[in-house]
Amino acid sequence: MRLLRQLSRRKLRTTLTILGITIGIWALVVFSSMANKINALVAGGSQYFEGKILVTDASNLAVGIGLTPMNIDVADQIRDLDGVAAAAPEVQMIFDPEANAFGGAQTIVGLVDGSDEGNETFELRAAQGRLLTADDEGHRRILLGSDMARQLKAGIGDTIEMRGERFEVVGILEPTLTAPDSSVFVPLESAQVLFHKTLPAAVQEAIPAEELISQVVVFPDSGTDPAALAALIEERVDNTKTLTGAEFDEQVGSATAIFNAIIIGVAIISLVVGGLSVINTMAMSVAERTREIGIKRAIGGSRRRIIRELVTEAAVIGLIGGLLGLGLGAIVVVLANEAGRDSGTILFDLTPGTAIFAVAFSTILGMLAGVIPAWSAARLDPVEALRYE
Amino acid sequence: MEAKTALLEGRNLRKTYRLSRRNQVEALRGVDLRIDQGEMVALMGPSGSGKSTLMHILGLLHAPDGNDGPPAELRIGGVEVTSMSEKTRTRMRADTMGFVFQSYNLVPTLTAVENVALAGEYAGTSRRAAMAGATEALGWVGLAERADHRPMELSGGEQQRVAIARSLVNKPKLLLADEPTGNLDSEHSHEVLALLRRFNQERGQTLLLVTHDAEVGAFCDRIIHMRDGLIQEPA
Repeated sequence: MRLLRQLSRRKLRTTLTILGITIGIWALVVFSSMANKINALVAGGSQYFEGKILVTDASNLAVGIGLTPMNIDVADQIRDLDGVAAAAPEVQMIFDPEANAFGGAQTIVGLVDGSDEGNETFELRAAQGRLLTADDEGHRRILLGSDMARQLKAGIGDTIEMRGERFEVVGILEPTLTAPDSSVFVPLESAQVLFHKTLPAAVQEAIPAEELISQVVVFPDSGTDPAALAALIEERVDNTKTLTGAEFDEQVGSATAIFNAIIIGVAIISLVVGGLSVINTMAMSVAERTREIGIKRAIGGSRRRIIRELVTEAAVIGLIGGLLGLGLGAIVVVLANEAGRDSGTILFDLTPGTAIFAVAFSTILGMLAGVIPAWSAARLDPVEALRYE
Repeated sequence: MEAKTALLEGRNLRKTYRLSRRNQVEALRGVDLRIDQGEMVALMGPSGSGKSTLMHILGLLHAPDGNDGPPAELRIGGVEVTSMSEKTRTRMRADTMGFVFQSYNLVPTLTAVENVALAGEYAGTSRRAAMAGATEALGWVGLAERADHRPMELSGGEQQRVAIARSLVNKPKLLLADEPTGNLDSEHSHEVLALLRRFNQERGQTLLLVTHDAEVGAFCDRIIHMRDGLIQEPA
């Protein structure tokens, strides 16, 4: 109470200082939430690609996903190579070609359940309904990722129309915080039909739907070096390009490293700006209260006690700024996610860890910034300080 | 003659302030003094006579110079204080000294009772006990009803009474007052002096008042005159 009265003595200055910290922490919260989302996405991808080789057409441009048509016989050729445990032909295509792909594209995934021959380690679980099985081949059935189910407002038994084909929802996945959340899964044959429709007429004639795939997921035998097998595939199977788990980490990991560097940059800027602003406010406050500090020292307030009072004051400035920044950041995150939900662009994930870190960070920042003026205040000669007008 | 107990004994108290390399002021040039328990003493002298410096030393705000000449001695309640650390002196200030200043020196953001309680807290009392003690002390100076007012809501005389309550709340051995009536009109001056006198007589509170007001001096048991950094023997 006393402390708040002390702070409210210079309302404008205290408010501006708090505002400075608020903006810094707000930026920290928003950027960290974005980083959380992207890091989770990449970590999931990294986990998915671990020990696998993704084979796409040599002309495929996207990283970590094959979107370019290729013939299913590529899977057969790969399967004949030494060291291959399984080679699963898949179709992947963009769910909505109009949509902005930032933060992970929404995809349609077509595969035959079991084509991994039991090698898949990335496990998906149904929150509602069931997963697809090989028996679904030939049926228009669909399994929705958690974000997709929310975006499409679809439940079990509902019908979803994609590119003129109607699919019955048989299951909704549990959230994975990564790619499957923004994917829909259909039997391979259905995906082949959809994919075929999207291709230029010339390609459509050259390759029938049932031979059409866009990527092969290769599971090496245990004991086979994925990098060596990937090299073998590129050499033996014409017109292919491979991506191993290690290459995924390297390529996508470097992108996240840049992103994380931006977050650290924002944190440092808010540290410097917010910290200097607290130092400035507290230094002015100490200068104005020189006399008061003299009184306190004269009537027996110890140096330690004076430091404690001032540092606490600075910490409260940091705490208030941190809480306001967190509040504003949370509002932005929630509103942006709500706005992005319909278009499937969920960019932010404000975790409890991020929230706690942001508030603790600003409080400690305030404290540290308060130490310097508090220290100089405590060193004042009480007699000099009392004379101060 | 009745033997009195010395509360404060100082010998060879010297203080030189170095304002710059060439300019130094010998504020105290070797002062010996003794103040007995229960005395109310006025310290008088013109500006620059060294009376404030002496009060700062007696109040443990500054230490006497220790070099050049015979060693300084200062005993308060029998305890030698000249070699004490800053931390111990601060603690002793809180426990055994009360200060009253010319310009009241209350903390503007705190209410009257909080100002008084602050001294109790610095002496190590819990906040709750300090607030209770402060309320009692405000009663002594007749300001119980003004306890929750801020300094700016009080008159000069009232502020000085709050300061007196603050100086007394820890029941100090010695109360040091630097021009306590300097900012007050004659009516409030009289009120404050009467209050100090009452504590001196009713409780045996030892008081040292720095003043240049002869009327204030006349109020006291004894006057110590100072000039040019030295105590002048009674004429």
